[in-house]
Amino acid sequence: MAFMLSLMTQERHLLSEEVDYIQAKGVEGEFGVLTGHTPFLTLLDIGELLVRNKEALYSYFVAGGVVEVLPDRVTVLADTIERAEEIDGKRAEEARQNAMEALKQPISPESRLGYEQVLKREGVRLGILSRRHSTRHPGSLEE
Amino acid sequence: MPSLRSIRSRIKSVKNTRQITKAMEMVASAKMRKAQQRVIDTRPYAEKIYDLMHRIAYLERSFPNPYFEVRPVRTAGIVLVSTDRGLCGAINANLFRSLTRFMKERPGTNFEFVTIGRKGRDFVRRSGLPLQGVIHGVKDRGTIEEILPATQVVIEEFYAKRHWEEVWIFYTQFESIMSQKPRHEKLLPIDPQFLTEKIPAGLSGEYLFEPDRRDILDVLIPRYFETVIFQRVLENFASEYSARMVAMKNATANAKEVIYGLTLTYNKLRQANITKEISEISSGAEAISQG
Repeated sequence: MAFMLSLMTQERHLLSEEVDYIQAKGVEGEFGVLTGHTPFLTLLDIGELLVRNKEALYSYFVAGGVVEVLPDRVTVLADTIERAEEIDGKRAEEARQNAMEALKQPISPESRLGYEQVLKREGVRLGILSRRHSTRHPGSLEE
Repeated sequence: MPSLRSIRSRIKSVKNTRQITKAMEMVASAKMRKAQQRVIDTRPYAEKIYDLMHRIAYLERSFPNPYFEVRPVRTAGIVLVSTDRGLCGAINANLFRSLTRFMKERPGTNFEFVTIGRKGRDFVRRSGLPLQGVIHGVKDRGTIEEILPATQVVIEEFYAKRHWEEVWIFYTQFESIMSQKPRHEKLLPIDPQFLTEKIPAGLSGEYLFEPDRRDILDVLIPRYFETVIFQRVLENFASEYSARMVAMKNATANAKEVIYGLTLTYNKLRQANITKEISEISSGAEAISQG
């Protein structure tokens, strides 16, 4: 039993396809969704979104936004989404290094918070890269 | 009878005009392609969040929320999206006509405006209607930040002051290069009557909210109307460039026709002058030979 998954940001429509299972990171923790889930709305944290369709497993980097879960479909309206293979590891590593350097200096609490966010973001990105689940994606709209 | 020289200078001036309209056509067509792509990219999110909000309003109808509450309307706010510049056919005129009709159909209601685009601002001022906010110079490649002042006014008037009981948006929807339609939509309150699709069967309960109802709605509601307003601005850009491209294409074709007509007149006149001169010379020569 599959359900309809739509993934998009304000500027980009990544996917609308039937899938079997997804796992995402909400602000209150990770959750998984199978068909027939009870209506559920949650805000997204920075984290990995896993999508399983038959045997294939796909991975996305997601930061911020909202997920609507209905019994027959799931809609992810994210602030940022990247496919695992779109993540620029070099850029992420540099950003992380910069943030770590900056955090060693005495800085204001606001910019500290900002850098800690960067650290978290890039940490998740690098984490996804290091355990790339798959290199292919289902019915990519741009191909 | 115009002189040869005056026709020649008119041909030259029309040729200049043709060059300008041709250039404008090409610029508009390049911009149109990009704007059209952006419309296609941004439509799905706007549609989904529109449906989502209306679904929530339906499922949560037993929970009071100022954004879902339908109040008797005395004052309606209108977000009027128009172009900054002219030379784009009749899209603004058509939009203003549909707005005028809309207001006529609601005689007891006061209307107040936030305009995005110079033409709409001029229209509201000309009509002597109250203007609560003005944005212009939004870039076609800009981001949502550029229209946030408009959403500030909406929050202030609808939510904080409760002065507007309804908020509508007027814009020109992009259908194709040949067709752009004036449209209006109700942004607030979020009225489940306007849900574009059926509530799925078996979905009668409430949502489970995480963290809680309030936190999620506080994030979602402003994002809903920001996204919808911004997407409509992008629709308007694609409409503007399409309309301008077509208008300039027509202008270029007209200029070509005028040049053709003028060239014909010019050649006829030149020929007539030559004939006249020859007949003068030959009759002169005849007069001499007979004398």
